Amino acid sequence: MTATALPRSRDSALPRPVQAAIEFLRLLSRRPSGLIGFIGIIFFLVLAFIAPIFVPNQELADVNSIYQTPSLQHFLGTDNSGRDVLNQIVQGGREIIGVALVTAFLTTLIATTLGAVSAIVGGKVDAVLVAVADIVLTIPYLIVLIVISALARPTNFLALALVLSLLGWAGLMRQVRAQVLTLKERDYVEAARSLDLGLFHVVFREILPNMRSYIVIHFVLAMTGAIYAQVALIVLGLVPFSGKNWALMLYFANTQGAFYFRDAFWYVFSPIFAIILLQLSLVLFVNALEDIFNPRLRSS
Amino acid sequence: MTPILSVRDLSIDYRTRRGPVHAVRDVSFDIAKGETVAVIGESGSGKTTLAISLIRLSPRSAKIVKGQILYTGASGTTDIRTLPEDELRAFRWSECAMVFQAALNSFNPVINIWEQFVDTARAHGMKDPKIVHARAEELLDLVRLDPKRVLRAYPHELSGGTKQRVLIALSLLLKPQLIILDEPTTALDILTQRSIIDLLAQLKTALGFSMIFISHDLSIAAELADRMITMYAGIVVERAAVTDLFYRPRHPYSVGLLRAVPRVSGVIGAVASIPGSPPDLIRLPPGCTYVPRCPLAVAACSEREPDLVPVDTPDHDARCIRWRTVAEQVGTAEVAVVEKIVV
Amino acid sequence: MTATPADAKMVAQRFPTTPRASRARHILGYWRHPVAQALLKAFLTVFVTTTITFFLIRLMPGNPIDIKIDELTKDGLMTYAEARSQAASLFSIDLERPLPEQYFSFITSVARGDLGYSFVSQGTPVTAIVLAVLPWTLFAVGTGLLLSFSVGVFLGLFAAYNRNTLIDHVLSIGGSVISAVPSYFIALLIVIVLGVELRIVPYTQMRGALSAGITPGFTLEFIGDVLYHAILPVSVFFLATLGHWILGMKSATVNALEEDYVIAARARGLSDGRIMTAYVGRNAVLPLVTQFAITAGYAIGGSILIEQYFVYQGVGLRLQAALLQRDYPVMQGILLLVTLAVVIANLLADLLYSRLDPRIGRAGGATGT
Repeated sequence: MTATALPRSRDSALPRPVQAAIEFLRLLSRRPSGLIGFIGIIFFLVLAFIAPIFVPNQELADVNSIYQTPSLQHFLGTDNSGRDVLNQIVQGGREIIGVALVTAFLTTLIATTLGAVSAIVGGKVDAVLVAVADIVLTIPYLIVLIVISALARPTNFLALALVLSLLGWAGLMRQVRAQVLTLKERDYVEAARSLDLGLFHVVFREILPNMRSYIVIHFVLAMTGAIYAQVALIVLGLVPFSGKNWALMLYFANTQGAFYFRDAFWYVFSPIFAIILLQLSLVLFVNALEDIFNPRLRSS
Repeated sequence: MTPILSVRDLSIDYRTRRGPVHAVRDVSFDIAKGETVAVIGESGSGKTTLAISLIRLSPRSAKIVKGQILYTGASGTTDIRTLPEDELRAFRWSECAMVFQAALNSFNPVINIWEQFVDTARAHGMKDPKIVHARAEELLDLVRLDPKRVLRAYPHELSGGTKQRVLIALSLLLKPQLIILDEPTTALDILTQRSIIDLLAQLKTALGFSMIFISHDLSIAAELADRMITMYAGIVVERAAVTDLFYRPRHPYSVGLLRAVPRVSGVIGAVASIPGSPPDLIRLPPGCTYVPRCPLAVAACSEREPDLVPVDTPDHDARCIRWRTVAEQVGTAEVAVVEKIVV
Repeated sequence: MTATPADAKMVAQRFPTTPRASRARHILGYWRHPVAQALLKAFLTVFVTTTITFFLIRLMPGNPIDIKIDELTKDGLMTYAEARSQAASLFSIDLERPLPEQYFSFITSVARGDLGYSFVSQGTPVTAIVLAVLPWTLFAVGTGLLLSFSVGVFLGLFAAYNRNTLIDHVLSIGGSVISAVPSYFIALLIVIVLGVELRIVPYTQMRGALSAGITPGFTLEFIGDVLYHAILPVSVFFLATLGHWILGMKSATVNALEEDYVIAARARGLSDGRIMTAYVGRNAVLPLVTQFAITAGYAIGGSILIEQYFVYQGVGLRLQAALLQRDYPVMQGILLLVTLAVVIANLLADLLYSRLDPRIGRAGGATGT
């Protein structure tokens, strides 16, 4: 029952966080797809945030080498102005992943708070919050995002993240609420409540620490949703970002009609592939997490 | 007369990552026609593992490592362990029916009771719905329920006690020779428990089937059973007729169980629980498993596991090298054990 | 908390059972009925969406009405007052009245089905524009989703029954992979990889919703043509949602297989086949039915890009055109009508669910003793 107990013998000299990390990796290695996903996530974080430090932005436009196929000089070919595609891929992940992280943070924060409060307080508050969540959940996400973006033009990073999270918290909130409802019946929570320890204590000290794994899962899922939404908005041209961005590459490709050029294949395909691989890493990782954490939580 | 069920040296292991858990070890007993046997023990004593293995319904991680389960029906004696799948499915319910503990979740929640009767009947070749309906009405009357209301109902619309009765009625559908009941009265309120016990007593007399029931509750054994088996840590520690075990136990664990039952009348303060907890079933001690909790344990007890030996009353076996000491303390009178031992 | 006679007396005093009180309680009792609650929620959803669009249009800085007024007065052909009233009529809003009255009249217009008029094609009611294209999208999404649900549920069940074998790993990883690819990318990849690059799919011919020259009617020719052009969008909606059903059904089935009633059914000698369909399958599929309508909502969202790549004349393509033309009434109308469609789909799914799960839907639940 406590198969997640930390190893004691040889590693007892290492600090707790390192021990936890080793245990985590060991659990993950039992699901190879999850490990692949995890490696993928690390790869993309490095690619998006660390690689640009070493690979400077290349702006040189060379009209003589438009839409070249991959070569030793340009690993992924060039775009319609002769700029290197690989360079753009390296530069282009920052914003997408950055917005995804902020959105996921906000979404998880809102969803977890509302879900926990709703489950614990119960009664009319619960009924109202669930009704609100249901309404937000039913409204077609992308379409309302598109209309809002068309009317309210989010101009920066943070504004976009805010809009995305304000509309995307509902599904997560219902799941958090369901989990808290089951945890609420556990003995240690009953004990805390009978000791009259107050709502915040019950939520933050008893219930949430036991939901750590679920919160991580929800966070990663929120990231996938954020990536899906922002790529769609950027490709449609609704978010006036400047700078390099995988989705922006596709926006330009669209306006240039590059989709239908055979020569432009690598220019179009590279950002698509990058985004798909990123999503795939996140999804494989989160599925493995669900597999690892669910059976234990169910039997305990 | 051949017993209808004869279990010989049955041993069952569970596979776990720490090693095999020896949940049931060398269990042997017989059940005669019309006899009721109670298997009594704590949680983890192996009683439920034993019961579900009799119809080969154990989970995939469980394995019967040795032993025989000999069933004698109209067509002779067979070892259930060797039955092929389709014969096993025919055997289940028609010869031996198993009523699970907490009938709360034994029914499919999305189809009504009538359909579940039909499913069971059809699985055993009874295809004519009129015949099935007549039989269902007959059985539900037998358990004192209103067929019209019950057959139409969905499981969530019935109370726990009602569902237990329906399950008992369903178990009689194919007139089995043997019915196994796992904790039939646990999770029911005390009035419902009373009615279920009365019902089982009546049905048993009227229809003559044999019963095995598993429980941790001694009182139900006292009411319904002819013979009793006490199990501890996966082995049988005592086998006797019910009156023998209640008045003349020969194993310290049985004595402990009897003393732990609070009595309505009688000496106050004579109730005690058994200190300690059951052993680890993966790494078993070399000697008797009850030693850590036994008030009569001596050095010799830890050397090797005792055999099940006959004691001074007929058809009565106990697994204790000091059974004579127990006999001295307890005597042979038809008086409750609690009043005999004042310790 | 056990009730005492004193408690009972207090309750009786505070809630006397006069005829009026009991009738009121009887009516409020209908509140509990799931159908009433579902209808109310549906109504509220549409209402909230309408309110959101109203405030976006009226109150945001740089809102469409002001933009339209600027546009109209730009060449000096119209006075400010005239432009204002024209813009107002295009949006079905009277700008003279105070805000709450504007809001109220907006709501009533919407309730009547008047969603204003298109900015671009002057005088064409938005409702007509949207209703002309919405059925095409609903058809594609609906067909794709029904197919993916059937196939996905079957595959998920199969994977759960063969847990931890190769087929399970293939289906689970496959499902994960497909669900990770955004729906619009599936469409784009079909066009650029299968169409442009590999030339397998004749996308130029399969574009659009109808071939030129085919007259609508209940003829085989028409239906065949519609289906031909719908193949690509339907395939995309199919693939985009398939993974979700496979993984969802597998997980639900794995849970159902561990339930007591499955073991009890085996103890009764029921065949594995019957247990798989009526005992495991029917219970496992229930949670998925509730997700059907929400998945449809998400799928429609992706249609804005999917229909663009296939030039499929559905609501997504029309929304994109409205975006480019800054045709705000049409955008607003699409949002409202698509929301309405999703809400109706939700209602139908809830109704279906209450028929499938006897524990819900009967207003009352446990009545036995």
